[in-house]
Amino acid sequence: MEQKCYIYSPDDSDERASKRRRIACAAGWSLREQLYGEFWAPLEHRIQTQSTLEEADSTTLEKIIKFVSGAVVAPDRQEAVIPTGLILAGSSIASHRSFFDRLGRKIVLDTGSTFVLLTSGECLNLKALVKSLIKKLTSRVGGNDDEEDEEDEEDENHTGNVSRIGPKLRDYDLVRLQEWYSKTKVDSIVVAIQDSEAFDFSVLAEMAELLSSWMDRLPFLLLFGIATSSESFQSNLSGAALRLLKGEEFNVTQADDIFEKIFCTTVGSPEVSLYLGPDLSRRLVDRQKDHVQSVQDFSDAVKYAYMCHFYANPLSVFLSQSLAFGEMPHDVWEATRNLPSFRRWVNTLLEDGRAKEVRRLLESDRYLYDNIKHHIASGQTAMFKLVSATSVLAAIRVIVQKVPHVPRSSLYIRSTSGELNGSPLIREMLLMLSKVSSDTFSSVLTSMELLQNSYVPIDIAVYRRELDALIKRNPNSTPLRSQHDVKNNSLRTTIVAQKVQLSKHKSTLSELDSSYSELVRRFHDDVENYFEETLIDPRDLFLSEILLYDLKSPLSEVFAPKPRFAIERALSSPHDYLGCDCCSSSEGALSGTQPVTAILYQLYLESGSIINVNDLWMAFHAIIGEENDESESNAMALFEQALANLKFLGLVKESKRKADHISKTTWKGL
Amino acid sequence: MLPDELLETLNDQFPCRELQIRRLSALYLPPFPSPRTLIVHGLEATGKSSIVKGVLETSSLPHAIISSRECLTGRHLFERTVASCLDALDAHSGYKIDRKPYCRCENLNALVIHLRGMLEGRERFVLVFDGIDSQREAPPTLLPALARFGEMIPNLSIVMIVTVPHPRYFYQSGIPYLHFPPYTRDESIRILSRNPPQIFLNAPEPALEYTPDLAEEDNLWVWSRFLAAVWDALAKNAARDLIGFRSLAEKLWRPFVQPIVDGTFGTRDFSRLMVHRRGLFQSEECLIDSIVPRSPILPPTSTTTPKTGPSILHDLPYYSKYLLCAAYLASHNPARTDSLYFMQTSTSRRKKRGGGAPKTRVSKTPKARKIPRHLLSPSPFPLDRLLAIFRAILPDPVPQTADIYTQIATLGSIRLLVRTGMADVLDAGGKWRVTFGWEYAAAVGRSVGFEIGEFLAGGVEG
Ligand SMILES: Nc1ncnc2c1ncn2[C@@H]1O[C@H](COP(=O)(O)OP(=O)(O)OP(=O)(O)O)[C@@H](O)[C@H]1O
Ligand SMILES: [Mg+2]
Repeated sequence: MEQKCYIYSPDDSDERASKRRRIACAAGWSLREQLYGEFWAPLEHRIQTQSTLEEADSTTLEKIIKFVSGAVVAPDRQEAVIPTGLILAGSSIASHRSFFDRLGRKIVLDTGSTFVLLTSGECLNLKALVKSLIKKLTSRVGGNDDEEDEEDEEDENHTGNVSRIGPKLRDYDLVRLQEWYSKTKVDSIVVAIQDSEAFDFSVLAEMAELLSSWMDRLPFLLLFGIATSSESFQSNLSGAALRLLKGEEFNVTQADDIFEKIFCTTVGSPEVSLYLGPDLSRRLVDRQKDHVQSVQDFSDAVKYAYMCHFYANPLSVFLSQSLAFGEMPHDVWEATRNLPSFRRWVNTLLEDGRAKEVRRLLESDRYLYDNIKHHIASGQTAMFKLVSATSVLAAIRVIVQKVPHVPRSSLYIRSTSGELNGSPLIREMLLMLSKVSSDTFSSVLTSMELLQNSYVPIDIAVYRRELDALIKRNPNSTPLRSQHDVKNNSLRTTIVAQKVQLSKHKSTLSELDSSYSELVRRFHDDVENYFEETLIDPRDLFLSEILLYDLKSPLSEVFAPKPRFAIERALSSPHDYLGCDCCSSSEGALSGTQPVTAILYQLYLESGSIINVNDLWMAFHAIIGEENDESESNAMALFEQALANLKFLGLVKESKRKADHISKTTWKGL
Repeated sequence: MLPDELLETLNDQFPCRELQIRRLSALYLPPFPSPRTLIVHGLEATGKSSIVKGVLETSSLPHAIISSRECLTGRHLFERTVASCLDALDAHSGYKIDRKPYCRCENLNALVIHLRGMLEGRERFVLVFDGIDSQREAPPTLLPALARFGEMIPNLSIVMIVTVPHPRYFYQSGIPYLHFPPYTRDESIRILSRNPPQIFLNAPEPALEYTPDLAEEDNLWVWSRFLAAVWDALAKNAARDLIGFRSLAEKLWRPFVQPIVDGTFGTRDFSRLMVHRRGLFQSEECLIDSIVPRSPILPPTSTTTPKTGPSILHDLPYYSKYLLCAAYLASHNPARTDSLYFMQTSTSRRKKRGGGAPKTRVSKTPKARKIPRHLLSPSPFPLDRLLAIFRAILPDPVPQTADIYTQIATLGSIRLLVRTGMADVLDAGGKWRVTFGWEYAAAVGRSVGFEIGEFLAGGVEG
């Protein structure tokens, strides 16, 4: 067989090993490895549990369960219709498997049905489909008794008592299933098709026809997992097949909603111990929206970020809470003094005229250690407050409507980049807050009470008490209005003017309203001060390099490789990779010293979509011959080798239209 | 002849088939000889299977019915036949036949031998092959061979149920045929009006003096008129067979009688009800088969919730949507117009449909292209063309990362894009094609703010 693909696996050479050792001796590598474990494990756990929680999407599962247990076959029907559920599972096909596995377990547990999952790979035609359906169902061990029964039967089979058995059944004969069913008596046989779009639709139609003709003997129920939309799925099935299937559709929570929730409860929650910076977070969020939608991918990326921080940054040891001065590796002090944030800090100290302190910081490692310890703690608190403020902001914004929705992940990104303080976003929200009516205000308080693990210095309980007292005094059912809300005020006065009997309440109303307005104003000021205090720019903090990880390039190199770009670049400007002297002079131009494939590739780039091989050869020979006067046959050999390489890379193929021509199949930069 | 009362029950059960029932029961009456082979033919849902089964069950002949729909291969059919015949014989005679000799049955010859063996010295046996003309993986000589079984095995009668009897199938003449003609309008209505559905789902309160008998009568009265209306408006042209007609009528029934349930009309106000609900019969929405019942079959007066677009759209990653748009354009635009529509250099991209060049061409050959491109079937395109268009239509450039290629693979595995031809996956010349239509492409484009119609060669009608 022709081998089309090679896996390049270089030996673990000595060079690599020594490199690792060099890092190890740099500064407490094993310490940091341990720290990484401590920091990452809880976060990973949170991501996993949260993602299963969200994806499981219990309401959808419940609905499907209800559908399965409620689907009954109308007994008087001759032509049987198969109850069918269309499960719109979204385009992130990687998560379908786990969803169906969970669904299967739940169906088996909660209903009297049995569950089989079929995938396109095992069902290339109807026969294969039925075969695997039967195999999966009948090979399942129902219990000990069943097993013995089967063994008995097999024995009979062997001991020649065949007369009862008769012709041996094909392994795609549903009569087998009928025998199995008569023993198990399940309520229904749920057949789930995991990746419906990947199936040959004629197979699905045939399956529908076959199963429906068995409906009078076997209680089938179909579930289709659909990645596109139910319309496009149904438009692929024939009308006759559709008429055999009737049921409901179920929507599984969409991947982007899940992601937003997971982001908030994990990376974007206040209580993580290593914060991801704005640039990196934006990269992660965008990647989810633009390219992939997969929680696993997100988890991997965050994990890699943690790894990079702890493995590549010797100073990350400071994040350890228990490490004493003596246990610190020696070279961290000098490294710390070279940090940009250290310099910034020292400069501010100098501006304040605290030169003595600065001197001590530069001279005494011990003093530096104490300061670092102090600043790490205070920095972490500041970060905690900052991220808390983000969640408070998000919570209030959700309640105080009329402001455009901004996802919480983007609030997190803006706050960690220090953009939020005094931003239009905050001002707008504060303005709306000053205008809230009493019922909205009450829900604002409720949502703030519900915020857990966040820094909220405002005493909500006091506000709640005062608000309740005011509401109690309110004689009518309309909520109290804040005076700051001009529009509502005028609206109410017109109503009051119309209804004469209301006018006598007017004095008490306005008195109530003004004390309510006072309350809201106080709350508004508190919130304003709170944001003022907490929304700092974390990158101004001393040691922000350690508190915050915000490097994009390691992540994008690993998670978004550019294979095609790399090949194209290597071929079109080999000097970038070779760094040789001979080619450097002719930057970006052809020269005979370049590798032959690269030369040919550059000629290839210059030509049109159909290339005359002889022309190509002439051009090639001209370049090769220019540098080193190769003999023609040598050059020809090189040419053929280069051409074979291009062909191997899939860049050219023989042209069918013209003899002696090759056609170009790829263009650079796509 | 069967006793009259038995015929009577059959005729009750299957009205409008007196002739066929009479003939069948005359042919398969125990003491008299039956034809060796009989071909029963008729279009879909004309009652062939049900009536043959009904008649054979009423006569006391031993028989077996093999449904080809349930047999996946020819061999499967043979083995099922042997097994069913043995079962039927066992049931009829009351003692078990030793099945050891019948274990294997690979081909038609073996089937003849087995059948001859098991019918040796018995009374007549009727073997029905239902839908044998659509048997999967059938040996080429299946039909003619089965047609001769009756000659080879003396006490066997074969009945073959087919849709259209083609004489070529059987290679012999003189086989008796029994035709089941399609039902006419009146027959269809008569058959279906035998069991009318309920108007009131919940039993009416006893205080209302609306007895079940009365309800029954009303159900029948409204249902049969309703059936006639459905036939004349829709089913006559679109759902002529019994099953299609019935499912259509059932689909429309609930919205139709809703005003009666609400109390707007009495049960006998049929003509006013018809006028009120005429919208139901005008829209052809209900003719589209779908798994999930399209709930609002819009009666024009009621306020229906606007149909939400394909829910998937929120779910695809941003660049996947652009990839889909690019693929759609690559499939529907001719490659030679690409430079016109997608060249970055020409600052004024051709956004207006039918400007400059295409227009002049159209005017030169006025009859050359009448069909808008989006109505044509998609043509295959090489991958690099997709990528080139993709980059041309993107508002901002995107790096050449592997993510883009991964998304193409994902779109391939959910079959929005498919590779055409059986070429090797790594073959350089592989081509792709889209599987979705104009509406979907337009919706996907719109969700990222891309008006795909502006880039479609020749523009879009409407
Ligand atoms: N005359 C009739 N009276 C009552 N019901 C009928 C009559 N004819 C057909 N039906 C009903 O129509 C349905 C389809 O009938 P049946 O399956 O016998 O048709 P068929 O001709 O075998 O169709 P196919 O060619 O698709 O196999 C059955 O539910 C049957 O009860
Ligand atoms: Mg039939």
